Amino acid sequence: MGSLVTIRGLRKAYRMGDETVHALDGVDLDFDRGEYVAILGPSGSGKSTLMHILGFMDQPTEGSIVFEGEEVSSLSADRRAWYRSNRVGFVFQSFNLLPRLTVLENVALPLLYRDESDPSANEAAAKHALERVGMSHRLDHRPSQLSGGERQRVAIARAIVGNPAIVFADEPTGNLDVKNVDRILDLLGSLLAEGITVVLVTHDLGVAAKARRVISMRAGKVMEDRRQ
Amino acid sequence: MKAFDRLRPAIVNGLRELQANKVRSLLSMSGIILGVASLVAMVTVVQGMVGNFRQFVDAMGGIEKITVDRQALPKDQEHLAELSEGITMRDVEQIRATIPLVRNISPEVRVGYEKVVFEGREAITLIMGCTPDYLPVAKRWVEPEQGRFISDLDILHRTDVVVLGSSIAADLFPPNVDPLGKVIRVKGKRFVVVGLLNNIEGAGVQIRSANAKGGGGMWRWRNSGVYIPVSTATAKFTGNDHLTGLGLRIGDAADLQNAVDQLERTLLQMHNGLKDFTISTNEETLESFKKTESAFKLSLGGVAAISLFIGGIGIMNVMLASINERIREIGVRKAVGARGSDLFLQFLAEAAVISVLGGVIGLSVSMGIVWVMNFILLQAIPTQAVATLDWKIMLQGLGFSVVVGLVAGVYPALRAANLDPIEALRHE
Repeated sequence: MGSLVTIRGLRKAYRMGDETVHALDGVDLDFDRGEYVAILGPSGSGKSTLMHILGFMDQPTEGSIVFEGEEVSSLSADRRAWYRSNRVGFVFQSFNLLPRLTVLENVALPLLYRDESDPSANEAAAKHALERVGMSHRLDHRPSQLSGGERQRVAIARAIVGNPAIVFADEPTGNLDVKNVDRILDLLGSLLAEGITVVLVTHDLGVAAKARRVISMRAGKVMEDRRQ
Repeated sequence: MKAFDRLRPAIVNGLRELQANKVRSLLSMSGIILGVASLVAMVTVVQGMVGNFRQFVDAMGGIEKITVDRQALPKDQEHLAELSEGITMRDVEQIRATIPLVRNISPEVRVGYEKVVFEGREAITLIMGCTPDYLPVAKRWVEPEQGRFISDLDILHRTDVVVLGSSIAADLFPPNVDPLGKVIRVKGKRFVVVGLLNNIEGAGVQIRSANAKGGGGMWRWRNSGVYIPVSTATAKFTGNDHLTGLGLRIGDAADLQNAVDQLERTLLQMHNGLKDFTISTNEETLESFKKTESAFKLSLGGVAAISLFIGGIGIMNVMLASINERIREIGVRKAVGARGSDLFLQFLAEAAVISVLGGVIGLSVSMGIVWVMNFILLQAIPTQAVATLDWKIMLQGLGFSVVVGLVAGVYPALRAANLDPIEALRHE
């Protein structure tokens, strides 16, 4: 499998009042297609910042990111939005489904913002994604009518509906009971078979243990990069 | 088409938000509702009044009418009185020959208020001698089934025919008697009724007296004339060839001042420089009406503009509150690929939906207001409807509300578009 993302010398600095905080302080990493990676670290270690930058929600202060062969470290806001809609997916700890939309509409949401958006094609794609996560029986429900595990499965469907290259899962099991944790992690693991790179961002060693590669971060630096 | 593809989900979303927050949306609409309702109702009522003004000026002969009346000589010319024979048919011929701006000229002789009698029924009214040109000048007509007006032959032969105004016909003849062909006495002399003049009905400037009966209302004086050939009037009644006045109609109101100037010169020349006449027009009346109209429009338009402005503030307020509540939603939408412009469009569409709906409700409220005002006016003054709603005005009202909604929505929509997705997702 070829390299999906290549990161060199990545830095991110914030100004907080008078102080400059280095959230990322020189990160070099490579991600391959179809990898199952966990980024482990306590809060403040820079793992969320890394995820935001790799997920095209934020831009680095310096350094280079080559994504699918293209330098993407300083893109316009609209171009980043294009990548979010077409190449990456997000799964959040608190699900972040929109309460007024049905399950089907929530899943179709990323497709809505594509240039060649077509309502019936979107619906078909959303149905297909929901099938893959085993939620086809709840298309017209509202998120509030679902259990936590079900909501996270819907969120995963939303993350994969646009055929992304990479899915970021930010503490995806943080709000779930034990029974659902394994189910969700297995579901995320199953995406690898389709060539999707899955990046788990967590501070839970047990969750990280599911991944085949664990990257430990501390104070904006990669401390350990271990395959298991 | 592509623009609509982006717009449609935004509008659907706007409607859904509206439905989810019914009370709040209605409150935010209230300003727009009142604004549109007052705008449309005010403009409609003002237009109704203006229509009445125009009708009034029209009934006075319209703006293209010029009136020449006999007048006593000014003091410094009194000793020259013998130099002028007054207004006569010779003036009429001269004006016809030299002032092409004048389209019609109606020589008139006021015989005076005299008694007219038919089989014991009598009335006292103004007897007037005139020619066929009276009709176009006064903007009157005779309905085909109501006989005919005075003809050129009547003038030539000084026939004893008479045309009656509708109210005088109603006074003289019982309802079951057809006046046409009947002989009446005018100032003691026998005349044959050959026609009835059209009835002037005023939806008028409603100053109608409660006991007015028969045709007319405030136009009663215009319906009570008795018309005979001008030649008959001079031969039978006045005994000289003096006219009491002229009515003139010009082709184009724009030529009014020119025509008046030319008329004055011609008459002065004919009268050897003696100013024994006055020339008047309806322009002043119209001017004062126009002033009233613009005063009404300004003040009422101001009221409507203020309420629309407040309506806009209401929408902006609610949009800002709604965005504050939905920061997380904005973050999610951005995270899954929404551009700033997508969110801008979404929130602008929401503001537009609120304002369009508010505008539509406002229009129905305005219909109610106009209906109630008409009802009240009809109770006070029994006449035709005062004001009718015009779809053009309603469309304008709706247009205003949409513009206000869009303008009010721009700032909140910009705020939503510029939110940082990471910050927005962290928002609790």
